[in-house]
Amino acid sequence: MTTRAPDPGKALVAAVWGAVVTAVLIAAPLMLRDRLPEPLAVHWGPGSAADRAASFGIAVAMPVALWAVLWPALVVTAARGLSRRSARASWWAGLTGGGLLALGLGGLTLLANLDVATWTEAALPLWAPLALVAVPTAVGVLGGYLGRGAPDERPADQEPPVLRLGPGRRAVWVSRISNPWPLAITVVAALGLFALGAFEITGIATGPVVTGVLPALGVVLVVGLFASSLTARVTGDGLVLGFGPLGWPKRRIGLAKIDKAWTEERSPSQVGGWGVRGLPGAATIMLRGGECLVVGYRSGGQLAISIDDAERGASLINALVSERTPA
Amino acid sequence: MLLTLDLNDARPLHEQVAGAIRRAIGEGSYTQGDRLPSARDLAEALGINSNTVLRALRELREEGLLEFRRGRGVSVARQADGRALIRERARALLEEAGRYGYRAEDVIAILKEFP
Repeated sequence: MTTRAPDPGKALVAAVWGAVVTAVLIAAPLMLRDRLPEPLAVHWGPGSAADRAASFGIAVAMPVALWAVLWPALVVTAARGLSRRSARASWWAGLTGGGLLALGLGGLTLLANLDVATWTEAALPLWAPLALVAVPTAVGVLGGYLGRGAPDERPADQEPPVLRLGPGRRAVWVSRISNPWPLAITVVAALGLFALGAFEITGIATGPVVTGVLPALGVVLVVGLFASSLTARVTGDGLVLGFGPLGWPKRRIGLAKIDKAWTEERSPSQVGGWGVRGLPGAATIMLRGGECLVVGYRSGGQLAISIDDAERGASLINALVSERTPA
Repeated sequence: MLLTLDLNDARPLHEQVAGAIRRAIGEGSYTQGDRLPSARDLAEALGINSNTVLRALRELREEGLLEFRRGRGVSVARQADGRALIRERARALLEEAGRYGYRAEDVIAILKEFP
């Protein structure tokens, strides 16, 4: 079993760093308030000309709000523990890159507004948008790389029991899992989509907000539908996964590709959330925390699937693999 | 749910499937209230018609092992009773004994050797 020990050291680092970032985001504009126009330019269109303004309070609150979403999440995940390498890397990337992004957002707004008479004169340097994306990304990647720590150990105590397949027997394993949350979100998205669509058609509410929200809701609807349930089956051909209530799309993993299977305990905070997580070769299909069926490929990669009754599935895969390739 | 079918079994297929599901429930694969995989999933995995699986599921419902609920699918109503499970295992044992040339009486004699 993967141990997930709480990490008070990292939680403290996140708390202190988060407080410093927040303090700078609030203190810097307060100190420079005499040299800033009211309202401040907060958004720039193409050609570096300011096209939207906001009062001092709102301009200061915007980067703080961005950071206020990320900061507590970082403290909580560190306090709960980061046992996997990918989790540690993304945690450090979020801490360093996310902090810099918030600082950059606040800093560039100040820089552009400094010593101008009205907000329309606030010009953003051409390099600014690029730097705002590139610098935090680069620092985040570096921070993640430096903070990734030791590689994950493959737990040895999760070997499934050996299953003996008698001659002339056909054994299959079928399991399913569903998570009500993505389904609930899907239903909400569908209702929202329907309501907005109706508003748009009848002309009650139209405009950029409605047209901007529609595609986003559509994406949530589709993703939520596919992430709400999963079926898995193991037959003589290998492992087949079916996504969503219709069991489609399907993913087939041939028995010839599989080296062995085992089970592991994984949670969404370890792998970075729900859905298909991680890169090919180290991916997790996460619908709920807990027991996962992990398939090790002959090529060295692995795929983990959160599913009930995973131990029996792993046993059957191993039995079928050893039957196919007599040692 | 791990299901095993014996390819040499002469019984009708739906009975075999019912036996396999009974065994899986008896072995603790699924406990009371757990939802079974859909008949379609089971049929696809076993490579048989889903009507055959449905017939097996209906048999188990009549036994009281499963319950069908609208919108909730098929779930386990109670643990498989010991006798049904032992019957299932005894049948498998007799079959395996038959392959080695032992008849039912021989198996009974062997069973009597146990204290």
